Amino acid sequence: MSGTAGLVIPCKAAVAWEAGKPLVMERVEVAPPQAMEVRMKVKYTSLCHTDLYFWEAKGQNPLFPRIFGHEAAGVVESVGEGVSDVAVGDHVLPVFTGECGECSHCQSEESNMCDLLRINTERGVMLSDGKSRFSIDGSPINHFLGTSTFSEYTVVHAGCLVKINPLAPMDKVCVLSCGISTGLGATLNVAKPKQGSSVAIFGLGAVGLAAAEGARIAGASRIIGVDLNPNRFEEAKKFGVNEFVNPKDHDRPVQQVIAEMTNGGVDRSVECTGNINAMVSAFECVHDGWGVAVLVGVPNKDAVFMTKPINLLNERTLKGTFFGNYKPRSDLPSVVDMYMNKKLEVDKFITHRVPFSDINKAFDLMVKGEGLRCIISMEE
Amino acid sequence: MSSTVGKVIRCKAAVAWEAGKPLVIEEVEVAPPQAMEVRVKIIVTALCHTDVYFWEAKGQTPVFPRIFGHEAAGIVESVGEGVTELKPGDHVLPVFTGECKECRHCKSEESNMCDLLRINTDRGVMLHDGKSRFSINGKPIYHFVGTSTFSEYSVIHVGCLAKINPAAPMDKVCLLSCGISTGLGATLNVAKPPKGSTVAIFGLGAVGLAAAEGARIAGASRIIGVDLNPKRFDEAKKFGVTEFVNPKDHHKPVQEVLAEMTDGGVDRSVECTGSINAMISAFECVHDGWGVAVLVGVPNKDDAFKTHPMNFLNEKTLKGTFFGNYKPRTDLPNVVEMYMRKELELEKFITHEVCLSEINKAFDYMLKGESLRCIIRMDG
Repeated sequence: MSGTAGLVIPCKAAVAWEAGKPLVMERVEVAPPQAMEVRMKVKYTSLCHTDLYFWEAKGQNPLFPRIFGHEAAGVVESVGEGVSDVAVGDHVLPVFTGECGECSHCQSEESNMCDLLRINTERGVMLSDGKSRFSIDGSPINHFLGTSTFSEYTVVHAGCLVKINPLAPMDKVCVLSCGISTGLGATLNVAKPKQGSSVAIFGLGAVGLAAAEGARIAGASRIIGVDLNPNRFEEAKKFGVNEFVNPKDHDRPVQQVIAEMTNGGVDRSVECTGNINAMVSAFECVHDGWGVAVLVGVPNKDAVFMTKPINLLNERTLKGTFFGNYKPRSDLPSVVDMYMNKKLEVDKFITHRVPFSDINKAFDLMVKGEGLRCIISMEE
Repeated sequence: MSSTVGKVIRCKAAVAWEAGKPLVIEEVEVAPPQAMEVRVKIIVTALCHTDVYFWEAKGQTPVFPRIFGHEAAGIVESVGEGVTELKPGDHVLPVFTGECKECRHCKSEESNMCDLLRINTDRGVMLHDGKSRFSINGKPIYHFVGTSTFSEYSVIHVGCLAKINPAAPMDKVCLLSCGISTGLGATLNVAKPPKGSTVAIFGLGAVGLAAAEGARIAGASRIIGVDLNPKRFDEAKKFGVTEFVNPKDHHKPVQEVLAEMTDGGVDRSVECTGSINAMISAFECVHDGWGVAVLVGVPNKDDAFKTHPMNFLNEKTLKGTFFGNYKPRTDLPNVVEMYMRKELELEKFITHEVCLSEINKAFDYMLKGESLRCIIRMDG
């Protein structure tokens, strides 16, 4: 099938040459996959805030030129030595964090923080030889999170690739390889609200709405959305959010407002902003005796979480999650299935669509805070 | 059967007239139980640090004269109107926190923080009429946490009494009405270490040793005791503690020391000192991906728990417990059975024994840090 196996593939990629500058469509050369690697043809990709954050590179080690992108779906073009879990032609989702299957994290029932393939934002090369598979005129272009999906072809470690149902529409399920699964899993795998319970969701961006979707699926009776931007409230209703609190509307701390609305506190809360005050509020707004708060959003490096110990001795639980606690290879296929049997709705997250050549429009939309997910179609 | 039913009983009690002053054995009058109350003949009682703390009354609202004591075992002498679950002759453990069985907390599978009968350290009277059942020459003597077991007879709300196996030796199981259950439950009900796991216990007093005992019962492979007092290490071996760390012996924070000993962190930690720094260390020493830390010890009112939020996003869980999450009436009888089946060992907690007239010796032992539990026999 693949006449390109073993050969370098020249193709288009959106290259970020400098922090914060528009991506430039370039012709890149993509080397064949080495041991435990897979080269895939990207069909659809989408922009996630994490791409934006590292593209802006404010206050981090800048690593440019770089090919961003980590939410995507595609087809396996060729596999390197030792790869047996996927084959040419398989439909796959690349994931920014992997699952080697052997380390203590992968062997644990709970953790998804693989020792070998855990997210690494600083690395711009492949693990096997410390080199990039992308080049322009012989000069290497850095990888991002081991995925680099803003390219017609990319090379990914086999442990970071999820084989999915070939019937699943790739222009929808591509969003499951990051943000939506993160929020969904935070609720379904970590917060685990019971049928009829009350849940507060802090932050009504894509991740928060995915967390709300999880609460809807779990049968929560009250899903209270908390956001500083009232424009988000209308959209959030589609995701099961049935009440809204804007902290700006109140003189007292939002956790008190929520406690008053819920006879002492919500059963579960999920924090999807990364704002440290919201994180503390999300914890302090759950009911004593049984409440569980789950932190999802990533804060600044210097943030300090602070609370009174009595809040813990009063039998509140505080947890955090990474990628919704999903083990990528083991668990994502069942998330795709949840979509296929219509339990999980994904289409409502997709508000925009652009061809690959217009990828910078996706950045503009996100910078302006417009839309939830913009699908970038590689073939139009 | 009992000729004292409905009458005032004159008996001995150890009365605290002033904060921090030795208790005085007085003859007190104990009124009959009113609606939903039970009068109990106390057979054996023990001293717990919480008694000492409120007897010292440093910086709290002092409530004197008062009859302290809340770890005990006794026999029902008579019951008030509406009491159906207990009858004269039943063996009971009085508990400082109750279970009405009707409120949301009691109905919840998880919580043991009954809305009606939750611990109240400020109240010195009975709920029913706002009065004390103890008096000397007509002057009221205040109750303590609804138990007041340093008296030959006490009057207690029925919701605060656990009915236990009459074959259980009361001079052993009296310990289960507070400290030992608190530590044991923190491990068995909240931390829940899997068989073969590693557990760190902070603080090797009676509560910490009970937590260690819980880890031993659960089949933990390594139980690491952390204490500033190396004299406690030898005793702790009897409770399953296999390794010891004294934070004073190291320059680096104890959580780093523990992480190095355990390939990244312990699976579970249980904090039984109330020192805010120990609480933070107990959280930060658990393994990312799956670690759970449980806070038991009660800190100072003004302490703040602080940590970097990454510790949560790295999938560490932080919980707290109150009375080991045991529902007093529902669960304590089963803990007594655990002892009767020889799964739980209690004798090793008892280091001293005195009679009522010598009760001040129990205070001395505790203040000097010489004892684990000193039992006080009421019949001497």
